[in-house]
Amino acid sequence: MDLLGALLSAAVLGFFAGAVLSLLRRDLGYATSLVASVLLLVSAVGALAWGSFTGLAWGGPLGEPESLGLDGLSAFFALATSIVWIATSAYSLAYDDRSSPSLAFCYALTLGSIALLVTSSDLLVFLIGWETMTLASYGMILQARGRSDRVFSAAFVFLAFGEASTLLVVVAVAGLRVMSGSFAEVPVAVAGATASVVFLAGLIGFGLKMGVAPFHMSEWLPIAHSSAPSNASAVLSSTLTLAGAYGLFRVLSLLPSPPPLWWGAVMLGIGAISVLLGALFAAVSEHTKGLPAYSTIENNGLILVALGIALIARADGLTDLYVFALFAAFYQALAHAIAKTALFLSAGYIEHSTHTFDLNSTQGRAKDADRAARLGTIAATLSLAAAPPLAGFVSEWMVLEALFQSYRFSPEWVQFVGLLSGAAVALAAGLILVAMVKFLGFSFLWKPKPSATRTRARGLAGPIGAVGAVVLGIGVGAPWLIRFIAPTVASFAQGPVVAPVGGLLSVPDGWSILSGSPFGILSPPVVPLGIAAGAAVAFGYYLFGGRSPTRRVDPWMAGSPPGRDGETYTSFGYSTGIRIMMRSVLETREVRTGTGVGDPDAATPPFAYNVDLEVLDVFKIFYDGLVRTGDAVSSALKSGVMSGRLGRYLAYILVVTLAVVIYVAAAA
Amino acid sequence: MRRPSWRVESAPAVGGVGGSRALAYVPDDGGFALYNDYAEGVSVLSTAASRPEDEPAVFWRADRDRVRPHTLAPATEIDGYGIFTFPYGPISMGVPESGRFDVRTYGERVLGLVPVGGFKSRRIRDAVVGRPVVDAALLVERMAGNFSAAHVSAFLAAAESAEAKEVPTAEYWVRGLAQELQRIYNHLHLIARVAEAASQNVGLAQTHALAEEVLRVQAEFFGHRWLFGALIPGGPARRLAPADRHGLSERLGHLAEEFERLWLLFLESRTFIDRIQSTCPVARSEAIRWGAVGPTLRASGVAWDDRLRIPVPPYDDLFVPLPQESGGDALARVTVRAEEIRASFLILEQILDRWAAAGTENEPAGTPVAPGRGIGRVEAPSGDLVYDVRVTAGKVDALQLRSPSRANWPVFAAGMRDAVFTDFHFALESFGFAFAETDG
Repeated sequence: MDLLGALLSAAVLGFFAGAVLSLLRRDLGYATSLVASVLLLVSAVGALAWGSFTGLAWGGPLGEPESLGLDGLSAFFALATSIVWIATSAYSLAYDDRSSPSLAFCYALTLGSIALLVTSSDLLVFLIGWETMTLASYGMILQARGRSDRVFSAAFVFLAFGEASTLLVVVAVAGLRVMSGSFAEVPVAVAGATASVVFLAGLIGFGLKMGVAPFHMSEWLPIAHSSAPSNASAVLSSTLTLAGAYGLFRVLSLLPSPPPLWWGAVMLGIGAISVLLGALFAAVSEHTKGLPAYSTIENNGLILVALGIALIARADGLTDLYVFALFAAFYQALAHAIAKTALFLSAGYIEHSTHTFDLNSTQGRAKDADRAARLGTIAATLSLAAAPPLAGFVSEWMVLEALFQSYRFSPEWVQFVGLLSGAAVALAAGLILVAMVKFLGFSFLWKPKPSATRTRARGLAGPIGAVGAVVLGIGVGAPWLIRFIAPTVASFAQGPVVAPVGGLLSVPDGWSILSGSPFGILSPPVVPLGIAAGAAVAFGYYLFGGRSPTRRVDPWMAGSPPGRDGETYTSFGYSTGIRIMMRSVLETREVRTGTGVGDPDAATPPFAYNVDLEVLDVFKIFYDGLVRTGDAVSSALKSGVMSGRLGRYLAYILVVTLAVVIYVAAAA
Repeated sequence: MRRPSWRVESAPAVGGVGGSRALAYVPDDGGFALYNDYAEGVSVLSTAASRPEDEPAVFWRADRDRVRPHTLAPATEIDGYGIFTFPYGPISMGVPESGRFDVRTYGERVLGLVPVGGFKSRRIRDAVVGRPVVDAALLVERMAGNFSAAHVSAFLAAAESAEAKEVPTAEYWVRGLAQELQRIYNHLHLIARVAEAASQNVGLAQTHALAEEVLRVQAEFFGHRWLFGALIPGGPARRLAPADRHGLSERLGHLAEEFERLWLLFLESRTFIDRIQSTCPVARSEAIRWGAVGPTLRASGVAWDDRLRIPVPPYDDLFVPLPQESGGDALARVTVRAEEIRASFLILEQILDRWAAAGTENEPAGTPVAPGRGIGRVEAPSGDLVYDVRVTAGKVDALQLRSPSRANWPVFAAGMRDAVFTDFHFALESFGFAFAETDG
């Protein structure tokens, strides 16, 4: 075990030690998590720079060797998660002011479980990490403040989806074990029905954790309905879904290649639907945590879209597109995880300074925030809205470039899937812009009402600003980062790859990302250089030329005095257009209550009634129906079979025993 | 100063329309109440004191508090998640005059709307007090420039009635001529504004050209594009000698032809019709309940026109067509206006043709409603305009008016409920409002 292996082992064990220490003192748990995250980051960078390595190793209960270690694929996810955790752990030190250590305990345990499942070199330990992660994060959601029945039901939904996910992941792992004869992460060569079962179980099982359609309720509901703590939300939305993505990438890397064409097509379709639904619901969400949670659905959908394109390209033998789409998928995962962290942390900042989760009530009261918090939030929202030169812009560009090349697919029906998905992703890009402008505008940019009270949230701004800087950094440095994560793609593709990086015209070689051979080109570092050059001219003019006294005026309100109560645009009003346009998807309906509603004489004053415009998630209706049906069936069984009549119960046991005996006899 | 207030009063059914409640705008001293029972064909004008106890009523009180912003329709108390008030105006793109609309909305849809006036007050109603009637008339015709003929005619009729003064019949004919010319101008102007809202650029330009032609005709024959000063008794010379009347008749014939061609083009434009069809609908019952007047009322299927119901010379001697529509939407209002342009051309033809019939004798004096107090009532382009004037020793003592805009604001507010923002301009322009005459 070399130095990196020791660091990695110390990191993983450190999280669990943090969980134990948090019982002594809350801060100790977060501080230990912070140190362990730094160690994890160092070992991940080491693995990407100098190749895979192994740390702690031991003999497993089934006689197979088990160990902690990082290869190209796991190193990438360790890198992404550790950056997130450094920020959330530092933030938690100031954020968590509860008297009970439960949140800190569950937090460290969740981090440790994710670290364990990412660094484990065999699938059994992966499963253990996976299940611990689900239980520990269930504990984090339970720590939410507010109405407890709401919190319990939200946490229960999370647990239900989480256990469904575990079941399917177990099926996938079992399938791999059957095919390879070992729990070790070794590729299986034979394709066939089992491989497809593993693929589907993995896609749905990990998709449940990633919150992709039609399981997206598992993502938004626990976060939005329970208003889970912000540090927990960030970990759930950024890294728990990242763990799901890791599992999906890992299982796919073990499955036979090239894959059947329909695998990619199914993945592309699910991804596109998730992208559209996530963006749509984000645009009409008024909850400071619900909105980022919906945006997570959109971003994880983008990962699936890129991955789906990659699988189709592999099946069609389009190697350049295959590699490019893989880079797009990984880069998208990284860009989203980091920007989303900043967004949830600023939601916590808004919560601390305005005591609300409602964007309508925020009304710019966070505007007087510390500069670091503002800048960090601006960077994160603009990145998620895909504005240059930030990370989200580069990843969105890469995914769209990959989609544009779906014309190269064969047969035609796959092109058609690509076409429809492209349209969905493009529409979603517009919708998510609305969502992000709303989040940013109504929290940090709006001029606050004179009457609004606001308090600063101490110690929370630093991590938000730092994450914002990282978002900018990985956006501008995208070409170098893409070359840096080439081992990851190589590890996934089971062979050497060439990073899609080059040069054009007078842009130096290696400064640009190339999509395909040749298709599109983007040079992320040149964008900020151009912006900086323009800004320098303007600043120079300001300094030496036309410096004029600053004039501050109130916003123009059509000649009326500005800022009167009830006369400012609400964030709800900002997105009502979308509610009405997309009413067929959102099931928008207007509910009127009060005097005079439905009365032909209502034209007579005084008009006084309440109007509520409601939107619904049709999938939630579906699941609610499923739960009701389940309840009905179980109570029917209860009254039918377990009715307390001994005779009926004995008959049931007899029938079941007979059935088992017959089955076993037939099998033998 | 008291703020004007709306009050709900119990009253029997209004004009055959079901419902036990009617809107009352309770008058205070110096104001007058006006009650139109359109369905019964009765018009009652009375002071508050003389109103029978069981009389259903739609009342307006002259706004005492005109200078400060005040609501022109009943306030709405609509609430709900994300609902806010969007102040549109007084200085906004698309609000043609200084006036505000408080729009209650959750975005995109108008849940409730309240017009707010008082931004355009020039205190004309105060400025006329103490002035001789003729001087006051010069101020009154500036109440709203494009309605000057109607305002000054109503004012003069009220003042003459207050003083029990005989007026040469020819004066009435001149007023009729001027009013019909100005009606054509206003209806053309309204169609142009609706065309502008619907981005009908050719229609807009051609209609404006026609309206401009009417202004030039007014300038040529009355000495002023807006007819200022032209209707003062014994005022500036009007070029209405037989030869001039012949020339005017020819000019108007050309205009009528042009208009027919233009209107046909409008009717053929689907974009134009689509934008105004079913926009801001006002049902017949609503129109009656709120006391709508003018083309707005007639577009909702109520046949009422002061020129027919309260005829004064020259209308008592002429054939006055009564265009009527039943849709109640912006299309119906625009159609009624277009029909009224035709009707006005017909009336003008009759006036010019039978000019000599006016003769040289005087009209018998009207009866004052009270000593020294008279009511003047004309059908202005946008509807029934009423002046209530008190004259003492040849000088105006007090003046109140109920403009058609004032009467129609609540109708507009009611029609806009549950409309979308984009309907606003089509709806607003189809009524022919002027904040100027509301504020005075």
